[in-house]
Amino acid sequence: MEKAEKEAIRRVIAGDRDAYRVLMDRHYAAVFRISFRITGNEADAEEAAQESFLRAYNKLPEFRQDAAFGTWVTRIAMNTAMNLVERRNRDLSVYAPRVSDEVGEGTVQVASHRAGPERALLDMETATLRHAAMASLTPMERTAFTLRHMEEVGMAEIAEALGVPVNSAKQAVFRAVAKLRRALEPVAGGMR
Amino acid sequence: MKHYSEEDLIAYQMGESSEARSIGEHLEQCAECATLAESVAQTLRVFSAEPVPMRTPVDMDLSWQRLRGNLAVLEAAPKKKRWLSLWMWPAAGAFAAAVIMVAVGLRMHHVPNTGGAQETATQRASVTDALKSLVGRHQQAHPINGHGPLTDVPSDDPQISAHLDSAERLLTTVNHEEGPLDEATRAQAHDLLLKNAVYTQTARDRGDLAEAVVLDNLGRVLIGLDHAPETPKSTWQLRLEMNTDGLLLDLRVLRQNDEHGSSR
Repeated sequence: MEKAEKEAIRRVIAGDRDAYRVLMDRHYAAVFRISFRITGNEADAEEAAQESFLRAYNKLPEFRQDAAFGTWVTRIAMNTAMNLVERRNRDLSVYAPRVSDEVGEGTVQVASHRAGPERALLDMETATLRHAAMASLTPMERTAFTLRHMEEVGMAEIAEALGVPVNSAKQAVFRAVAKLRRALEPVAGGMR
Repeated sequence: MKHYSEEDLIAYQMGESSEARSIGEHLEQCAECATLAESVAQTLRVFSAEPVPMRTPVDMDLSWQRLRGNLAVLEAAPKKKRWLSLWMWPAAGAFAAAVIMVAVGLRMHHVPNTGGAQETATQRASVTDALKSLVGRHQQAHPINGHGPLTDVPSDDPQISAHLDSAERLLTTVNHEEGPLDEATRAQAHDLLLKNAVYTQTARDRGDLAEAVVLDNLGRVLIGLDHAPETPKSTWQLRLEMNTDGLLLDLRVLRQNDEHGSSR
């Protein structure tokens, strides 16, 4: 771990809250990115990132400094974001509008700038299906899949962060891909 | 011809297969498996495209301000000291021997009094129980370091749990938004305010003071939201108040208590 981070941790533990900003500036973007991948929307990603940094802060006196702070807080984020997805899934009334909002805002970058109306419609349909497909995954499948495929995190690291054996993490990823493939079948012919 | 399963082909496309070479050779000869493998590859391509929103310096500042409001001042974990240094052992042994001798001497001169002895034993037991209870409370694992409500006992009432969840979401929304509150948020705050009064009283009646205190604080903020003037400054003050009081954090702790309680 870098000297500046070690020094920041020492100061935080000594009671200087503002020293935590050093760690946040360095790692917030990565934590937010992971959280966004898992939660799928910006507001929840921000909430998960906040909670992860808060948890890390409260556990800082117990943090073994032979490990990297960035790796540690990212692992906390993986778990926190997955728990948030579980919570949201329990409350579909909150989750459902968010999916449609996102699609409406055009956050999915599938459409081409020169797309005609038919193509744009198909892209919109694809985007809706994508979100619906992702929402159909269990939090574990969604987390394992996004980390492995979109963030290229190794299976061993994913398994450790989620507290499951490596084989379970692999199975979760494979199940996720199989579910997503089936969910996209209605438009797959049109995309070829 | 032996075909590969969908799972084998997914593992192959994701670079996780131990049979990559033989699957590759098979795909050159088997149209059926090649189609399935291409479908998997296409799925993976479709789910690779989503960009992550960039965090601007302004976003970072806002995130920091929000986080900082929830940070309690930490204290270093006490270093574990050796209970007694080696050179102190002989002195400790001599002291213990002296104490035993004095105790035995006093016992020899003591006139037994059965009733008094029983009373003293009862008193000692009650003092010990009280001390154990206090120490037990103090040693209870608390989820937040020096912050949050002083309880990790789940609420038995699912309606209160749902209320805490709704309140947390409302406050999170208010914390994220800028400018004056919209009508829907005000209406939600008003609705929660009415329910909150009932739940606060329920928690008090049940003797759950930690939860009652948090609900009381929540009520104060909800009153502010319900009556907030439509100026950007007023809601900003409320957000600041929520951050400094750590109310959101308290709500999360109570809700997590409930979650842990229900998963046990």
